[in-house]
This record gives sequence, structure tokens and C-alpha cells, in this order.
Amino acid sequence: MKYVFILKAVFHSISHRKFSVFTSIFAISAAFAFLAAIGCVSFGLAATAVNSSLAFPLIVGPAGASDTTLVMSTLFNTDKPAGTLDYEFAGKLASDERVAAVFSVARSDSYQGVPITGVESAYINEISKGFWDIDPMIDAKDIFGGKNSDCAVIGAKAAMRYDMSVWDTFFGSHGTVGDEDAHVHDFKYKVCAILKPLNGPEDFAIFTSLKSVWEIHRHGHHQHHHEDAEDEEHDHEHHEAEHEEHEHHHEHGEESADGKITAVLVKTKNPVFTAALEREYSENGFTSATDTGRTVRKLMSYMNKAEEAAGFFSYGTLFLVMILVFVTILTSINERKREMALMRTLGIGRFPISLMIFLELFIISIAGIVIGTFGGHLLLAFCKPAIDFELGINLEPFFFTEVEIRGIILTLAAGIFLSTAAMIKIYRTNLVEEIARE
Amino acid sequence: MAGSDTVSVKNLTKSFFDPNGKKAIIFENVTFNLPAGAVLRLSGASGSGKTTFMNVLSALTKPDSGSVFFGGTDVARLKEGEKDRFRAENIGYIFQTFNLLSPFSVIENVYAPLAFAGRLPQDFKEKALISLQKVGMESFAAQKPYHLSVGQKQRVAIARVLFADPKIILADEPTASLDKNSSELVKNTLLELNKKGTTLVLTSHDPIFDDIRPDIDFNLETGALS
Repeated sequence: MKYVFILKAVFHSISHRKFSVFTSIFAISAAFAFLAAIGCVSFGLAATAVNSSLAFPLIVGPAGASDTTLVMSTLFNTDKPAGTLDYEFAGKLASDERVAAVFSVARSDSYQGVPITGVESAYINEISKGFWDIDPMIDAKDIFGGKNSDCAVIGAKAAMRYDMSVWDTFFGSHGTVGDEDAHVHDFKYKVCAILKPLNGPEDFAIFTSLKSVWEIHRHGHHQHHHEDAEDEEHDHEHHEAEHEEHEHHHEHGEESADGKITAVLVKTKNPVFTAALEREYSENGFTSATDTGRTVRKLMSYMNKAEEAAGFFSYGTLFLVMILVFVTILTSINERKREMALMRTLGIGRFPISLMIFLELFIISIAGIVIGTFGGHLLLAFCKPAIDFELGINLEPFFFTEVEIRGIILTLAAGIFLSTAAMIKIYRTNLVEEIARE
Repeated sequence: MAGSDTVSVKNLTKSFFDPNGKKAIIFENVTFNLPAGAVLRLSGASGSGKTTFMNVLSALTKPDSGSVFFGGTDVARLKEGEKDRFRAENIGYIFQTFNLLSPFSVIENVYAPLAFAGRLPQDFKEKALISLQKVGMESFAAQKPYHLSVGQKQRVAIARVLFADPKIILADEPTASLDKNSSELVKNTLLELNKKGTTLVLTSHDPIFDDIRPDIDFNLETGALS
């Protein structure tokens, strides 16, 4: 009964300070929701990166492309390629006895922000875990074969987002994702298949044949050339026109010209060969190469640092919030001194009264942690489709990271420490004498 | 030798330091025996130290020197937990205002002190209702104190005293803000309890108590005991 009374007093006090209690709980919750978001997003990025890096141990691109550009432009479709390679180069690379398989990729267009990548049927066979839907007239093992060069294979989440089905048609925007001068062209793609989810950036991509990329380039190039020509005087020297053409090509350096590709994804027969091939193709002056696993790990370590830095900001915020809650409780203690003094005169001991103050602060801390943590994760689950699409990751909304668990432990410790401090303050105060002195 | 429920005050002294750091003696070397069922009236102007004297008697405030014996025990020398138990088991407080604990309902206010002391009788709810009935407040049992008038709150405080059946009642201006009917009820209840053997320590400027002949009258303004 004694403890029922204590809890009753605690909840009464909490319910009578709705605004300050709500503000305190909201502030703690917000910090925890932020911690949850940091943890889940970074875990989603990491999981996606690791999955992708395992598939293709080596990436070879044009000379001058950095390790991160090669990885980001080919595996994650988030960076512009640094230039182009001849398609024949992929054939030469495939004939190397240390290479198990090569997959040419050519970045070109985009559709409503979803990158369109030119690949061969073998690439689809390599990444696919089956199709949600496929045109029955198409050979699933050679999806871009024959006259299917206008076929588009849609990643699961891109298909869901834009409600795309087999036999739908769409037009891409010339220029890759993020191009300000991208424009819709008249090359019509036909949806031939929709991939099952792969839990990687491929879910947010559209794949088409290399041939279609080259065809679009030819068409786009011709159209641009025609538009440029209208603006120029007819008596331009031939070499000047060539210069213009070169400049234009440079601006759209990521485009895959006829017979050109932007990178080659390589499966090696042995990890030792990966290192050797990386060295060879980085030092020949014509190409750049990167060990996907190493580059991804490097990116991950930067990401971890960012996660930790964000975590520390959150811890700092939490600390300030806890101090605010503590000050609020102390103010409320001053307001309730008379009531506590009355309790003492009625024979209610110092311990139950101090315990009430302890529980008040502790319950607010726990409520903030619980609401913030579960609310944050629920919010992430609710926003998952949008976050997945915007960041190109597979968010794990109910994953608890170390940063978050550490935050919970630290806040609990701070809550217990501050609650105990408030409890001791009340325990040591002779409330009756204080009231008498007032 | 005083009886077991006699309050024996010996050489009791209490002083405060005012904000200027000057020592102000409230009472000095007060000695008397108050037998069970006796009435002690504390008189003197406001601020003369009547409430402080009550707080010393109930072991809420430590005296500078001297002792307050109850049942052979010097209550001022008890440990904090023992003092709390002493108050819960033996003292019934009635103040001018601010008598009730806002978190609890009227009936809970009646049995809260014994609940916190872990001394609730088996049929505590029935007993609490009977106490409320005696002061005409049984229909308010489930209400919270903020719904009550000052007079009603004072009646609940009296019901609390009736429920706990303490050996000493400390009544500090118990009728100061009450109407005539409520004042009569408070006075009659206190006298009834006193007749049953409860010691009454009273401080009041209300003429309603003028007909009470105290066993001891202690004027804190002059320090005179009569």
C-alpha cells in the first residue's frame, strides 16, 4: 500500500505539470529518435555496401577515375562516371586467365531520378534472384538478346514507386541523374521484366541493353549537333565544329558514346588475382581499377566516423536535455515544498518523499527513452519507402546500433545519477524548518 | 515518575538566527509535565514561536537544548525513521490551512499517514468512511482536495485525526479560516477526543476556544507558564 501511495503521488505530480513533463519527454524522445535514425540509416548503407562489394571484387574504369567514383558510379549509381572505355576492352579483360567473368556497364539516361544503366543479359543473370514479372515472350536467360534492345528490366522498388508493369513504356531523360540540363528524349523503353528485390541499389535502378544506350547516344548526339548547328554560323570551319562537339562531349563525360562503356565489373578467380589486376589496371595509364571490398571498407570507416560524430552530438543534446529536466524537477520541488513538509508532519518519512522525487525524474527519463526509441523506429518504418528510395539503401527500421544502445545506457545512467542527486537533496533538507523560516 | 503517555518537557530551548545573523531566542529553559488527556494552550502574538514549539514537541524541529519525553523516550534524540514512526503513531496535526495532500482523494487523505507508516488496520476503508461520516464528509470520499472548500478541507483533516486516533493532537489555529458551523464542529470534535484521553496542544486566537480551561497555558511572547 505504501508504494502504491508513492506511485500515486508521483503520477499525480507528473500529470499536474503536463507542459514541462511533455517538453522534457519530447526533448529526450527527439534525441533518441535522432539516434535511432543515425543507427538505422548507417546500418542500411553498410549492409547495402557490403552486399554489393561481395558481388564484384574488381571494378575497372577509365583513367583518372578515383576509387570512390568507380564504386559509387557503378555499384551505387550515385556518382557520375569519370569517362568511357571502349567496349572491346571488356573482351580483352575477359580473356585474362585470372578473370572469371566481366560485366560491361554503360551509364546513360535516367527516368524520374532512377538511373538507367546499359548492361548485357549476363549481368542481369548474375544479379537476379528471379523476376516478379517477365514478358512471356522473352527468354529470361537472354533478356536483351535478339531484337530486345529496347527492353528495360526494372528494379523491384523503382517498379513499385512508379507503378511500372511489364509492357509499360516510358521515355528516359537524356543525361544521368542530377544533370540540370537533362531532357526527355524520344527513345521509348519497353518494360520486359521486373526484378525481385535484391536488397541493394539495384532495386532502385533500371537496366537496359548496351545497344539501346549507344543508340540513344547516337540519336541524342545527332539532335544536339543539329541544335548546335542552328545556333552557329554556317561558315564555321570544320575543326571549330569538331571542337564544339568535343566540348559538348566533355560536358556529358558520363555518357556512353557509340561502342563505349563507363566501367567493367570483374569477377576474379582468386582474391590474390584481384590485387594483382587492380595494380596492373591502375598503372597502365589508360584505365583505373579498384578493389571493391577495400574501397567500400574505406567508405564505411568514414561513414562510421560520421555516425560516431553524429552520435556524440546526440549525446551532448541528451546531456543538456537531462540537465533541463533536472532543473525543472528542482523547480517543481520548490513549488511543492509545503506539501512535502505536510507529509513530514503526518509522519511520512524522508525516504518515501525522496523516493517520489527519484521516481518522478526516473519515469520521465524512461518515458523519453522508450517513446523516443520505439517512436523513432516506428517513424523510420513508416518513412522506409521514401528513405530507401532517396538514399538508395535498404533501411532496417528495427535495427538497434551500438550508438543507440550506448545512448540508452548513458541516458539511464544520467537519469539515475540526477534522480539520486535530487533525492539526496530532498533527503538532506529539513522541509519543515525551511517552511518555518519562510 | 510521569505516566507512559505524559509529555515531559525539560529545559527546552530554541533559537533562530535572523537574516542579520543575530540570535533570536524563541523559548528558553521551558519545563513542564503534560499528563495524558490534558490541554496545553500556546498563546502569544503571531511570530512569537507557537508553531515552532509544536514542531519541537513533534520532533520535526530539533531544540537547541533540553528534552521532550514521551512514554519515557526523548523524542528529540530519536533517529529520523523513528521520529517519522513516532509522529505517524502518536501525533495528529491540524493546521490553519493546507492540511490535505493534493495527489490523494479525500478518503486516501484520511488513511495516508498510516498507509505510509505501514500500519493500516484490516478494515481501513470502512473506518475511514466512518471518520468522514462523523464530520459530514462521507459523500466527498472519492473527490480530490481541490474540489473542496476551506471548511470542508478542515473537516477532512479532523476525520484524519479521528481515524488515526493519536495520543496527542497539535491544533495550530484550526478554526482561523472557518465559518461558525465548521468552527463548532472542529472544536466539539477536539473536545470529544480530549475527553477520551487525547492530549490537546492548541494555539488559537478564535474566541470560540475561550471557554476551554487549559491545564497549562504557555505564553511564548512572555515566556510565562501558568
